[in-house]
Amino acid sequence: MEEKQKSSLIDKTKWLFNEIKTHWNTPAEGKYVPYKEYLDIWLAVGSNYSGTKVLEYISFAAGCYLIMFHYNLPYVAFSAIALINMPLQKLWDLLAWIINDNLGFLPKKKERTLYSIYFFSIILGIFLMAFNFKPYLNPNNAVVAALNSIRGVSAASAIKMLGTHILWNGWAGARNIFWRKKLVPKFGRYKYFLYCDIVPKCIMVILIGWLPVYNIQDVVTRVWVANALFALYNLFGYNNCLETCTQNISPNMQERILVRTYPLKLSHILNSVMVLVIPMAIGFLKDEWADINVYKYVIPIIFISFAILTMVFSNRIKERIPQPPIEEKVQISFWDGIFGVMRNKYKWMLNIVGLLDSLGNGMLAFTTVVYLYTFRLSGLSYGLLISLVSFAGTPPDFFTPYFIKRFSYKQVMIFYYLSRAIGYGIVVAAIILCGDNVTLCGIICVIMLILMETTHTIPMAIHHDMEIRVNDYQMYLSGERLESFSGIFGWFTSPITTLIGLIIPILLLKFGFNSNWDVLFVDASRVKIIVIPILFDIAGYLLMTIPYFFWDYDSAKQNKVIQVLKRRAEVTEKLAAEQNESAEGSFVG
Amino acid sequence: MKKDKAKTKKTLVAEEEILEIPEDEIWTYQIDGLAAPKINASYKDKKLGKVLFVLFIIFAIAVSMFFSVRALLNTGTLEYKEIEGKAGEYELIQFSNNGSITEFRVEGAASLNYDAEDAGMLLGEAQTNNDVVSYDKSKKVTKIHEYAFNCDGTLQVIRIGADVTDIDAKSFYSCWALQCIYVDKNNPNYCDIDGVLYNKDMTEIICYPIDHDRYLRLKNGYAHLDENGVQVSDLVDDDGKEMEELWGTTKKYDEKYFEEYNLKVRTYVLPSTVEKIGPLCFNYANLRYVYLPEGLKEIGTLGFFDAGNINAIYSYKTDKVNTETAYSPDMFQTVYPSLPEGLEKIGSDCFTKDRGLTYMYIPSSVKYIGHHAFWDAVYKEDGELHGISQMNVAVDEATFEKGEIGSSWLPKYDYMLFKKNIDVNYSAERVQMPQ
Repeated sequence: MEEKQKSSLIDKTKWLFNEIKTHWNTPAEGKYVPYKEYLDIWLAVGSNYSGTKVLEYISFAAGCYLIMFHYNLPYVAFSAIALINMPLQKLWDLLAWIINDNLGFLPKKKERTLYSIYFFSIILGIFLMAFNFKPYLNPNNAVVAALNSIRGVSAASAIKMLGTHILWNGWAGARNIFWRKKLVPKFGRYKYFLYCDIVPKCIMVILIGWLPVYNIQDVVTRVWVANALFALYNLFGYNNCLETCTQNISPNMQERILVRTYPLKLSHILNSVMVLVIPMAIGFLKDEWADINVYKYVIPIIFISFAILTMVFSNRIKERIPQPPIEEKVQISFWDGIFGVMRNKYKWMLNIVGLLDSLGNGMLAFTTVVYLYTFRLSGLSYGLLISLVSFAGTPPDFFTPYFIKRFSYKQVMIFYYLSRAIGYGIVVAAIILCGDNVTLCGIICVIMLILMETTHTIPMAIHHDMEIRVNDYQMYLSGERLESFSGIFGWFTSPITTLIGLIIPILLLKFGFNSNWDVLFVDASRVKIIVIPILFDIAGYLLMTIPYFFWDYDSAKQNKVIQVLKRRAEVTEKLAAEQNESAEGSFVG
Repeated sequence: MKKDKAKTKKTLVAEEEILEIPEDEIWTYQIDGLAAPKINASYKDKKLGKVLFVLFIIFAIAVSMFFSVRALLNTGTLEYKEIEGKAGEYELIQFSNNGSITEFRVEGAASLNYDAEDAGMLLGEAQTNNDVVSYDKSKKVTKIHEYAFNCDGTLQVIRIGADVTDIDAKSFYSCWALQCIYVDKNNPNYCDIDGVLYNKDMTEIICYPIDHDRYLRLKNGYAHLDENGVQVSDLVDDDGKEMEELWGTTKKYDEKYFEEYNLKVRTYVLPSTVEKIGPLCFNYANLRYVYLPEGLKEIGTLGFFDAGNINAIYSYKTDKVNTETAYSPDMFQTVYPSLPEGLEKIGSDCFTKDRGLTYMYIPSSVKYIGHHAFWDAVYKEDGELHGISQMNVAVDEATFEKGEIGSSWLPKYDYMLFKKNIDVNYSAERVQMPQ
C-alpha cells in the first residue's frame, strides 16, 4: 500500500516536471498561459506590489509621518480640504467613468466636448491659483470668517486649493483620454498607465523629499503649497495593476485560479521581506523615522528599484479578456453605463452583501483587545500567538483549486458566513460564560480564531474570482466590463453604510470607549465593548447568507458567457479584417 | 457501496456545452437563465429613472457634505433621559464638550445654544465660553450615567446640584482637566471636601479629580490667575521659563522646597471616616504620598490605576475623627507604611502601572485580591528590578491561599523572552516607618 502511494507520488512529480517542461513556452490545449509566464508573474507582481507598499509611506493624510512630522500640517486642514473638494468630485467621477469604460475611445463630438471641459478647467484652475483674492474678501462675511478661523486655512488659500482641485481634474481628465487612446490598444486596459506615468512618478517621489516645502514658515501657505505638490504627485499612477492583469490572465477559470493560488500568492513574499528591510534601513539613520533622509534617499531608492523591475517584467504579462478590436468595440454612453450596471443582478447581490457587512463597521479589533486586555499578552507570547493565528490561513489557500472544482460559489459563501457566525457565537459564549477563567476562555477563543482563519482564505479567493466572473457577465450584458460605472453602487450604499457605521461607535461611547483605551481594563465595560459589536457582526453574517441562496451564476453559465465573448471577438475581428481595419486590442482566445 | 460513493463524488467543472451563435446575433444572443444583452439600446423611455438618478446624485452630495461638516464642527452634545417611573426626573447620559466649556452644573437639564459669532469656537478655537450652556430648572437631573463625562479634556469644575442622588463611579472617567467636583450642601447623598467627591457620611471616597493638583497649586501659592482668569504658574525652570509642575529639584528649588511642594500639592490624606475607596477613584492622580485611615475596608477596582507618581502609601490611626485632607505632621496618632490593618478587599487592577511604589505589604485582614491587582507595577532596567520588586504578605502561604485571590495578581517583569512573577515574602513583618 505504502509502495503504491510512493510510486503514485513519484509518477505525479514526473508528470508535473514533464508538463512544465513541455508547456514552458506554449500553453497546453485549452489553456492560455505558458509556465514561463508564471515565473514572470511572480517577479512582476512581486515588484509592483512591493513598490505600491513602499508608496504607502507617502500620502497627503494625517496618518503620514512625512506630513505630520516634517510638513507639520494641522490635522483640521485635511478635513477642510476634503470639504472644499467634495461637491465637484462627483461630477469629475461621472466624466471619468465615461472615459474609462470606453477605454478612452469616444465619438469625436463627445471627445471634443470632454476636452473642452477639461481645458477650460485647467485655465480656471490656474486662474484661481495664481490670482490673489485676498484684497477682495470681506473678513466680516460669515463664510470668509469661518474659513479664516480654521488653522492652516484661510478664505484666500481655500480658493487656491479649489483651483488646485479644478486644475488637477482638468489635467488628469485630458491625460486620461489622451494616454488611454494611445496605450490601451498596445498594453491593455489595466497596466497601460505604467508606460506614461512611471518616469514622472519617480521624479515626484524624489521631489516630495527634496523640495523644501516643509521649510515654508507660514502655515497657511505651507498647507496649500503642500496640497498642490501632493496633487501633482497623485496625478501619476502606480498601483498594484499587474495583479489585476493576472486576475484576467485567462478565459479558462481553472487556469485563472491556479495563477491566483500559486505565482500570485508567492509573489507577495517579496513584500514580506521588504516589510523587514525598510525599517532596518531606516534604523541606520540618525533620527530614524524623524530623519528627512528617509524621504530623500531610502524611499526613493527602494521605490525606483521596484519601479524599474516592474517595467522590465510588466510587458511579459498579458491580460486575456475575449474582446473585439478596439476600433470595433461597443460605445458606452452615460446612460448605457448607469443602466447597464443596474441590470446586473449579481452586482446588486454583492453590493447588498457588502451593505450587510457594514453592520460590524466601527467595532474594535476584537483579537487585539482580547490578547492585550484580557490575557495581558506582550512580547514573544503575543508575537507567537499573532503569527500562529495569521499563518493558519496560509496552507489551506494552496488547496483553492480543489475547492473551486468541488463546491459551488453559493455553497462556499454560505458555509463561510455561517462559519463566521457560529465561530463568533462561540467566542461570545466563552467570554460571557467563562470570562472569569482566563485560561479556559483564552483557549476557546484562540481555537476559534485559528479555525476561522483556516476557513477564511479559500472562500475569499473564490469570492475574488467570482468578482472577475461577474465582470465577464457584465461584458456579455453591456459589451463592456463597466468597472468604473460600477462605482455608482458605492454612491447608493455609502450614505447607508456611513449611518450604520455610526451605530457601533455610539454604543461603544456609551460603554465608555473613547480616546482612552485604558477603559478596556474595566472588566464589565470590556465585555460590553467586545461582545455587543460582535453580536452585530453575527447578525450581519447570518443576513449575508440570504442573498447567496438566490445566487445562480455557476460555472456552466460562465462557460457560456465566455463563449459569447469569444464569438463576438471572433466575428468583429473577421469584420475588421474584411474592411482592412486595425484589429489592435482584440483577443479571441 | 463504497465504490458507488466514490463514483458519485464528482467535481463541479461543467461539461462545456458548445453554443451555436449566428454572426448576426453576437450582440443579442441570450444565454438560457441569464438576462438578455442590451447593447447600444436607447434609454429614451427611462425618463423617470433618469430623474430619480439625478435626484439621487443631489441627495448623495448633500449627505456627504452634511457628514463632512458634522465631522469638521465640534458642536458638543448633551444627552439626558427621563427616568422611568419618575416623571420630571432626568439622568445625564452624556456630556460631550465643544472644547470651550470649563465649568458645568448638574442640576436642571442643560442645552447648548450657539449664534453666528460662535463659528470660530465650533471650528476648534480654544477659548473658554461657559455662556453657551443654558439650564432648564424645571427638568430636575437626579442621576449621572456611567461615563457621562468620559475623556473630556476641557472641563475643570463640575457642580453637583442638591437633587442629584445617584452618581455612577465611572461617570468622571478620564476627565483630564477636571480639578474640582463641588456638591450642593443640601444634597442628601453626596458631599465634597475641597473639590473631592464623597458620599454624604464620608465613608466612601468616590472621585479624586485627575487634575486636582493644579487646583492645589493655585491654592497653595504656586500659581496665580491673570487678568483673564487664566491660571499662570509661578514655577520657573533654570532658564527662567514658566513651568507648570515641579517634578524634581532644580538649581532654584532644592530638596527641602521640593518636599514641601510635594506635601502641599501632591499629598492626600483620606478622612478617618472612609471605609471604601471607590472604583477608579484615584486613577491617573498626580500624587506622591497617600495616607489611608485604619478602618479602610475596601479599595475598589482600578482604585489607584496608573497613578505612577505615587511614591509611598501610608496608613494612619487617630483617636479623633479627622476630616482634614491636607497633610500636617501632627495630625496622626500612629503612622505605618503600606496598606492599613483591617483592609479586606483589593479590587482588580487596583495598583496597575503604579511603578513609583517600592514597598507593598498585604495585611493579614485581606481576604480578596482581584485579578492583575498589581499588574505592571514592576519593571527591569539595567538588570535591576524597579517598582514593587517583592510582595510582602503578613500571613503564611497556606492561610493566604484560602482567600479569594485573582489570577496574575502579582507584578511580573520581563524574564528571558517571557514574563516572571516577583518573589513573595510570606509571614512577613511590616517594615518600620522611615524617619
